[in-house]
Amino acid sequence: MRLGTRKLIDRGMTALGIGSIVLLAAALLVFLAPIVVRGLGAFVFRGTIEYRQLTLEKFGRGDVDAVEAEQAEAVEARRPVYEMLSAYKKELADGHESLDEAKKQFRADRKEMRRHEGLADQQRADAQAELDRREAELDRRGEQLAKHEASLVELEELIRELLGPEPGQSVPVLWRDQYGQTRWDRAQVKLDQILNVETWVDQDDPDQPRVRVLVPRADAFEGTTLAPLFPYIENNAEAMLLPRLTFYWRFLTDTSFDAHFFGGIWPEILGTIYLTLGAMLFAVPMGVVAAIYLVEYAREGFLVRVLRTFINTLAGVPSIVFGLFGLAFFISTMHVSPSKSVLAGSMTLAMLILPMVIRASEEAIRAVPATYKEAALSLGASKWWAVLTVILPAALPGVLTGIVISMGRAAGETAPIIFTAAVSVGKPLWPWEALSQPTPALPWNIYNLATEHEAVDEIRHVQYGMVLTLVLLVLLLNAAAIVMRARISKKLRA
Amino acid sequence: MTENTLHIPARKTTLPDRKPAPAAPSRVHVRAEEFSVFYGQNEAVRKVSFEIPAGQVTAIIGPSGCGKSTFLRAINRMNDLIPGCRAAGKLLLDENDVFGPRIDVTALRRRVGMVFQKPNPFPKSVFDNVAYGPRIHGVRGRTRLMDVVQRSLRKAALWDEVKDRLPQNALGLSGGQQQRLCIARAIAVDPEILLMDEPTSALDPQATSRIEDLIGELRGNYTVIAVTHNMQQAARISDFTAFFYEGDLIDFGPTTQLFTNPREKRTEDYITGRFG
Amino acid sequence: MVSSDRLVPAGRSLLLSYRADRMRRLGSLVGQSILLLITSSSILAVLFIFYFIGRDAIPFFQAEGFREFFTSADWYPSGDPPAYGALAIFYGSAMVTVGATLVAVPLGVLAALCLSDILPFSIRQMVKPVIEILAAIPSVAFGFFALVVFAPLLQEHGGRLLAWVGWLVGGPLAVLGVVVLSDLATAGLPEKLRAAGRGAIGLVLAVVAFVGLARLGDFFHGLQIVTGVNALNASIILGIMALPTVVSVSEDALQAVGRELREGSYALGATRAETLVRVVIPAAASGISAAVILGVMRAVGETMVVWMASGNAAHVPEPWYDFLASVRTLTANIAGDMGEADQSLGSSRYHVLFAMALCLLAVSFALNMLSEWAVHRSRKKMRGQ
Ligand SMILES: Nc1ncnc2c1ncn2[C@@H]1O[C@H](COP(=O)(O)OP(=O)(O)O)[C@@H](O)[C@H]1O
Ligand SMILES: [Mg+2]
Repeated sequence: MRLGTRKLIDRGMTALGIGSIVLLAAALLVFLAPIVVRGLGAFVFRGTIEYRQLTLEKFGRGDVDAVEAEQAEAVEARRPVYEMLSAYKKELADGHESLDEAKKQFRADRKEMRRHEGLADQQRADAQAELDRREAELDRRGEQLAKHEASLVELEELIRELLGPEPGQSVPVLWRDQYGQTRWDRAQVKLDQILNVETWVDQDDPDQPRVRVLVPRADAFEGTTLAPLFPYIENNAEAMLLPRLTFYWRFLTDTSFDAHFFGGIWPEILGTIYLTLGAMLFAVPMGVVAAIYLVEYAREGFLVRVLRTFINTLAGVPSIVFGLFGLAFFISTMHVSPSKSVLAGSMTLAMLILPMVIRASEEAIRAVPATYKEAALSLGASKWWAVLTVILPAALPGVLTGIVISMGRAAGETAPIIFTAAVSVGKPLWPWEALSQPTPALPWNIYNLATEHEAVDEIRHVQYGMVLTLVLLVLLLNAAAIVMRARISKKLRA
Repeated sequence: MTENTLHIPARKTTLPDRKPAPAAPSRVHVRAEEFSVFYGQNEAVRKVSFEIPAGQVTAIIGPSGCGKSTFLRAINRMNDLIPGCRAAGKLLLDENDVFGPRIDVTALRRRVGMVFQKPNPFPKSVFDNVAYGPRIHGVRGRTRLMDVVQRSLRKAALWDEVKDRLPQNALGLSGGQQQRLCIARAIAVDPEILLMDEPTSALDPQATSRIEDLIGELRGNYTVIAVTHNMQQAARISDFTAFFYEGDLIDFGPTTQLFTNPREKRTEDYITGRFG
Repeated sequence: MVSSDRLVPAGRSLLLSYRADRMRRLGSLVGQSILLLITSSSILAVLFIFYFIGRDAIPFFQAEGFREFFTSADWYPSGDPPAYGALAIFYGSAMVTVGATLVAVPLGVLAALCLSDILPFSIRQMVKPVIEILAAIPSVAFGFFALVVFAPLLQEHGGRLLAWVGWLVGGPLAVLGVVVLSDLATAGLPEKLRAAGRGAIGLVLAVVAFVGLARLGDFFHGLQIVTGVNALNASIILGIMALPTVVSVSEDALQAVGRELREGSYALGATRAETLVRVVIPAAASGISAAVILGVMRAVGETMVVWMASGNAAHVPEPWYDFLASVRTLTANIAGDMGEADQSLGSSRYHVLFAMALCLLAVSFALNMLSEWAVHRSRKKMRGQ
């Protein structure tokens, strides 16, 4: 082959390699960017007056006077909306009245006509045609009225979703019905739904998917007293909702309300902490002891080979299988708790991370210079004392690094806790309750809220906030591990 | 041949003037009788027999790989750590067989301290390093520990240099200081014998000479057995010298005699640098 | 030798009494046994997992037999009569795993090569944390990304995306291929004709390649993607999740190939690419295959990503290679069906999930053994050299 070609191949390979590294980094970036940006939206957003009102009334936070002043301002801005609505309702009512009147007249006329039996055929036919025309006209008016009424009901529902229940009406049960949109971004979506009706239209080619078309809702109310409502709402949305930049850091420490529509994710965070710490409680002592045995006591041979094979096998068991096993063993057979519980989940997770802890500790203990042990023994220390006072302390940073990384793994695992520990809604538990009760947990609730929630789209910010929290939690743990490792290598060099 | 010969060519293989060794060896401290050590099939020390006198400095010399360390580490049974290593014959410490059936290895190691080739202080404070052994052997209380630490550091000629740095990490000391700290750590448990396996080979000449001086000061109080493959050093520090070659003990006797008037041809060749 | 004023208590006698000696032996035996017992908990855990999964799987096979489960693709566990044909689900698992492997292995091995042989040390130190972070991110977060961000993107712009990827990957490869092929094809020609021949063949090949790529791009562009949650989505995300495993394990294997071997090759005038392909990769082959197996294991056993991203349709795609169809995997099926099945504890519907778990377990066990064997072989090879 020509030298030039060979060099080209060489460069091509370099480029491919670098390309794959770039792709790797890009993948991380593409993943992290939306999570971070939209996740922050759970903490920092433009909150409306509805938000401040809810915070004040339900959580007792905020300045009463300021909120009341704002509320008055908003009510003032909203008044025309309700006035126009009631004017329109009156118009509809009038329409009904005149329709009823016309119907009465029509029935009278029809009776009248039937009584005139002596009419000529020609006249009779004309009169019948006239009656038919009038009947059709009445039907049309009736239909139109019904359509307007239906549209009005839909519109009123949307307006209620945007602004909350009309002042003076009875208070609904659900929090989400008691308040309008608390977030300006959601309010804008609702606003869009008020201003435009979304329809799907078939294309000429039946194989092609249907196309989404937006029709101004105002079209349906053209020529009625309600027509000016739409420009009014469009132009005065801000005045009606008064969005302001809001920092909701208590997202982390509030419990959730009304199926995660409001409040924070404290029960999930706490549940994750319980599960993680519980798993470490079981896995760390066992893992570290096993590592000590493997490094310091076991003689290389058949037994150690078998042990290692089994540890590797355990590391390779799919996480969902751990979940099933936890259900079949800890709950159904051992009855550690009547049903799902943090305890059962922790034990299951502990089995999952045990191999990680063993491997990391083994590596750390192996890395301790043999001379430390020799020095300790030469001073008359017994072996276990040397392990306890010299080897373990020297290996501790390394062991901790491994433990912290395993903690991150335990915190993020979902499959093992689905059948053993996790529920979608729950209150924060006390530690002793964790022995017998299930808990919400970040990983499970991310799945649950993103797929099974009744209003998946409306609580996207909560989902993103949870993902961000979980990812940050895990990354912080890993960052701590990286820092620790850097310090160890510095210490060893010193 | 070693760093020292390179660094200090001025020092020749001559016997320095120093206080003469005690007239007659008071008693035998360690006695080897047909003593062998095996690594698996490999016989690293081959049926050696000799007597190491108490209170004196005995040097073990010989080319690299001749079994010096192996023999030394047999005395406090450090070889137990190596899988596949076993001993045969007798190695007596005060008439007790070191490899006997009911030997308390920890008690043995306490009586036979060891200083290693590379300084290996624990990654703990200077104080904790020296106090490690005494703590094991039941010394409690800060003041009593402090007494032991201070005395050991003084004996190791390190006290003045570290008395203000006791709580600091021992890994921050210089190499020579670290090695003296290891000596202090070894003396702190009051051993009778100090084993030193090339204690200066990782140090610079200045630190080396300090350690050598220190070994001179330890003479009389401790039985010191030091491995070195530096003849000048052996000549400078020791009262008796054993010459090992390929696992065999070739020669053993008072250092003066061995260096001025070797009985064995191989000893002479080695000392004069013809091989090794 | 013993100092006059003792600060340290006098040592014990060297000889233990018979009693003390026995106690010491006993103590050490007991202590070691306890340590061994704790260490053996891993063995116990594995045996228990096999036992308890097997115990709940057997009733299914007893009641329904093996035939339907492994050979039929009709999965209607809640039908009347219920049908437990898991073939489509096995197929879904296999499909997603193959897809993920196709993403992870080339990228991962290339990245590992780059890390071990191409990039300077300082950049390597920067890339390492990226890989660690990628490895640390919980699978449910990837699943969320797949469902909420990637699926809509794929659904709306999937065709265009694929066309871009086709050009981006195919373009440079095609250029390289054209140059190499034309060079090879003209090697036999006499010296004078060579340059001209190379130009002519290169031109022809370039046109062919370009037309091919353009048609491929058009094909991708014209694709109708009905749903963004499909095998392709799951494969890509799973592949990215498996990447860190592949990269770090194969990098270790590549690093273990000594400097001497590389230098020997360079000394013969080989370029870096030739050294890597002819010398380094063959020497590290067992280690790299272990990396691949570990990556495959990661993909087979993963639950959350496939559950959220694969669409969970329990049928074999039509045609069978259609990665744009929704599929369901074993893991996702277990996770998803358990919610309904655990009310009917003891029914076939419940036990069939354990049967699936048993299959998963068997596969991962086999893969694990395979990877151990590969690692063992690579160790032996390294020692042999
Ligand atoms: N841990 C070990 N395992 C097997 N053989 C060893 C071990 N340590 C030393 N040896 C062998 O024993 C012999 C003596 O070694 P050693 O006592 O270390 O020599 P030196 O005189 O240099 O200190 C050498 O041949 C060496 O190969
Ligand atoms: Mg040696």
